[in-house]
Amino acid sequence: MIMITGGAYEGKTDFVKNHYSCKITDGKSCDFESVFTAECVNNFHILVKRLIESGQDVLAFTERLCKENSDLIVITDEIGCGIIPLEKDDRIWREQTGRAGCIIAKNSDTVVRVFCGIPTLIKGEL
Amino acid sequence: MMTVVIGGSKCGKSSYAEKILDSFTGKKFYIATMIPYGDEAHTAIERHREMRRNKGFDTIEKYTDIDEIYLPKGYAALLECMGNLCANEMFKDEEITAPTEKIMSGIERLKAQVQHLVIVTNNVSCDGIAYSKETMEYMRIMADINRRMAEIADNVIECVYGIPVPLKGMLL
Repeated sequence: MIMITGGAYEGKTDFVKNHYSCKITDGKSCDFESVFTAECVNNFHILVKRLIESGQDVLAFTERLCKENSDLIVITDEIGCGIIPLEKDDRIWREQTGRAGCIIAKNSDTVVRVFCGIPTLIKGEL
Repeated sequence: MMTVVIGGSKCGKSSYAEKILDSFTGKKFYIATMIPYGDEAHTAIERHREMRRNKGFDTIEKYTDIDEIYLPKGYAALLECMGNLCANEMFKDEEITAPTEKIMSGIERLKAQVQHLVIVTNNVSCDGIAYSKETMEYMRIMADINRRMAEIADNVIECVYGIPVPLKGMLL
């Protein structure tokens, strides 16, 4: 498993396009089950939001994903570095994204953080 | 020695901070700064207590005035977290006060007392949203305190989805 993270619009998707040849599935709109056979899932943080809205257990989904699709490339925004949101739903989303991201990172051989288009390897090797 | 562990929400900073003191054989104090108010705070506190269970910490609850803490020499302390302590100090009275100097003198005192001081703090200024004047002031003061702590710390570690990234010093 490979994880690509960083803030919004920092160059995460371009990094994946330049370094890997894979079909990118968009977490904003894809079928939940399709993620288990996908090559790369983009916007994982939005997928988390959609899972919460549909009443699914995000952490169980993420554990299953790591087990069943261990070659997956996951692209996710970092969304936790701000003020605690006023809305409870936003707080739950932000926290579940953090926890799910920790599970993905733990199960990834390689984790890259992209900032200003510059990739920094924070786990494993490229 | 002093180590600062910084990160966003649920990024694994507590687990990492506790892990740093795993190998410390002496007495360990946990300085808890979160006021147990409301369901979410209670859940968070219970979760953290569970995480610390059997790790040999003595808990001290101190929501403000950390400069009043006296610890016997030679032990270790983990303060969690600066985000709560700073908010508790800032918003305890009707008028907002800047607690930077007060908190920093408390940190200096603790640092001089213990063998290893580990502080968990929060990165609260990267969501790009313009908030109310009070919240912007909170973000400014948190950034000030983080910079001041980083200056006197031996190690500053950022947690990114559970991965520790050294910004100063080294991984422990």
